[in-house]
Amino acid sequence: MKIVFLFFLLCITAVQNAQTGNVDFNSPDNIKKFADYLFCDKDYLRAAIEYERLADINRSDIIEFKIALSYSYINDYYSAIQKFSGIIKSSVYFNEAKLEEMKINFLNNDFAGLRSYFKNSFITEVDKYQTEGEKLFNFSYLFTDDALPSKDEFLSPFDFNEKEKISSFYDWKNEPPYKDGTLAGIMSAVIPGSGKIYVGEIGDGIVAFITTTVFAFIAYDNFKAGHTTRAWIWTSVAALFYAGNVYGSVAAAQVHNAKITFEFNEGLNVYLNKKNYYITKYEFCD
Amino acid sequence: MSILIKKITTLRNMNFVINRKYFTATLLFISCSSFAQNSFDTQFNFANTLYSDENYFDTVTELKRLLFFDDNSEYNYEANLLIGKSYKQGAKFSDAIRYLTLAEINAENIDELYETRIEIIRINILRRTTRRAFKLLDSLEADERFTDWSDKIKYWRGWAYMFADDWVQAAQTFAEIDTNHVLKRLAEEVDDDLYSVSFAKTISYIIPGAGQIYTGEYISGLLSLGWNVLWGYLTIKAFIAERIFDGIVIANFLWLRFYRGNLQNAENFAKEKNMVISNKALNYLQFGYDGLKP
Amino acid sequence: MIKIFFISVLLFTISAFPQTDRSQQVEEETSWVKWGKADYRYEKPNEFRHREYSFDTESVSGFIAKSTANGYWYFISDLDGDNCPYRPSCSAFFVQASKETNIVQGTLMFFDRFTRDYNIYKRHEHYPRVKDGHYYDPVSLYTLDESKIDYIPPSVTVTK
Repeated sequence: MKIVFLFFLLCITAVQNAQTGNVDFNSPDNIKKFADYLFCDKDYLRAAIEYERLADINRSDIIEFKIALSYSYINDYYSAIQKFSGIIKSSVYFNEAKLEEMKINFLNNDFAGLRSYFKNSFITEVDKYQTEGEKLFNFSYLFTDDALPSKDEFLSPFDFNEKEKISSFYDWKNEPPYKDGTLAGIMSAVIPGSGKIYVGEIGDGIVAFITTTVFAFIAYDNFKAGHTTRAWIWTSVAALFYAGNVYGSVAAAQVHNAKITFEFNEGLNVYLNKKNYYITKYEFCD
Repeated sequence: MSILIKKITTLRNMNFVINRKYFTATLLFISCSSFAQNSFDTQFNFANTLYSDENYFDTVTELKRLLFFDDNSEYNYEANLLIGKSYKQGAKFSDAIRYLTLAEINAENIDELYETRIEIIRINILRRTTRRAFKLLDSLEADERFTDWSDKIKYWRGWAYMFADDWVQAAQTFAEIDTNHVLKRLAEEVDDDLYSVSFAKTISYIIPGAGQIYTGEYISGLLSLGWNVLWGYLTIKAFIAERIFDGIVIANFLWLRFYRGNLQNAENFAKEKNMVISNKALNYLQFGYDGLKP
Repeated sequence: MIKIFFISVLLFTISAFPQTDRSQQVEEETSWVKWGKADYRYEKPNEFRHREYSFDTESVSGFIAKSTANGYWYFISDLDGDNCPYRPSCSAFFVQASKETNIVQGTLMFFDRFTRDYNIYKRHEHYPRVKDGHYYDPVSLYTLDESKIDYIPPSVTVTK
């Protein structure tokens, strides 16, 4: 009897210990808690996977939105768009989802898609963020070669404190400071290297000038000395450097134009990132 | 007789009753014990199973889940250690070291401390940050608590030397463990096969092309020698004929160029051949060697 | 005599600075995929340059260019050291340029590249780098086809 009592006492102690360490890791509540932790820890892939373990019945509006956000943060734009577009109108985050869809079009460089989406869906479906959507819509013109709207129309949705900056973007896009390849070629044909200096490649221009003139001088010197064969060889070399310099000046103008376009686009991306694509920062992790 | 039988029967009955009590009590205890195995243990075992199945991403997920709910921090060491090992298997070495460092902080005894530190050293060897590995090995060796592990520490030091391409030091280190250590013999063989880069460069300074011939690139060596002889001859001929400018141009743009090229080639050929030799040894170490590996 | 002395000092000074300069940059990759066991090898990757001597060309001009390049590489370029600061090297640039355009345009592109080769001033502000420290200067920038230009800023290390 004593032994049974002793065993019984031991059992109760063991059971009590077990109950304090007994967690149902896979209950919907605990999955959600863990997923929230992963989301705030910026482990977005795991967060998305965890949230998606929840049955539909356990997914609130915020969870559906966070799933879509997680995919967008890990650059899985296809899944993100699918999830955002799946958020129904009655959801608390419907408007935010639509704006996020526009942002993803930006990140995906799908500016035509963005404009079509804005005109066909965004304007009609969304109650909030019309101005923000319009800003992104106008911004998309700065990334493409399509005809720009008029300046007033372009600047209209932007706040007063950013109009100056946006105006400078518009002016650049309207009249980019490109270098003319034909002019660069002609300049180099007249004075070797001058076309490259015009494009901004001063070092290359000076070297082109030196190589062409040095070989031309050597050719002239050999002709003067009566060494005809050598002279013609040096003449050919000089001619090739001369022709290469003209060609290179035209190509340099194209590269220069590509460079400043790249830098302009980088500037736009930096600006948009600073503005968070006109999306208010979420406070899911306070 | 009947009394005896009665007594025996009573004894038997008593025994039966006592045995039944013990049996019932034992059964009750076992049931309680199995119920008492808590969910944290189950979760950790589950993570371990995933690790054994090489499902490392999910292993990390389940361990992070365990740690999130472990308010008493009972699994800080084991979970962080296994997360670190999982990241190591995925070749995510920076993450691995981060979690192993957390495991080290939560180590409760000297064995656990040693295990985490050696894991960190092994990862530093694998990702070839051998300077860091040597620093950590030095600190382990200097720590009196780890005197019993000195042979094992030397073993990993030898591996660090091999990954740092210092086969001489590797052989010496393994020799300190055992003069007939299999890795000592391997390191010595590799060192014997290696070309001397400095020797190749030096003889190329003296005779252009010699370094390349030394490394087995005969055609390259002969061509290099030929070019250097040709330009050298033309340079000297120009100077003798007092065509100084021609001499300078040939020497500068041709002779010096091929002479410098000869030195570069001697160095590069020696380095490349050495890389092939050491890679062969590393390949054996990874796939042919049975002992502990990083 | 003095003139010759100064000229020779100048020439040797230029030659003393090889046109290659190396720098190693370490990169860390982050990827958002469900990763598994990595196929990690102990062996060091072979980053020594090996020439492509094949004649994989579709045109006569491409064949001529490749033959010239192969001969130049085997008898001269492989013996006079690594003198080109760019990748692809000038000779490889000529071969690729002739392949992508034609022999005439390829020749012009080559001479332009040769000129740029001798401009040592502030290269790091113009060209991105490849892993071994050489500057990245692809053919696609100079074909006069703007659609092929994929501008990469100098701050980037190109991994191919």
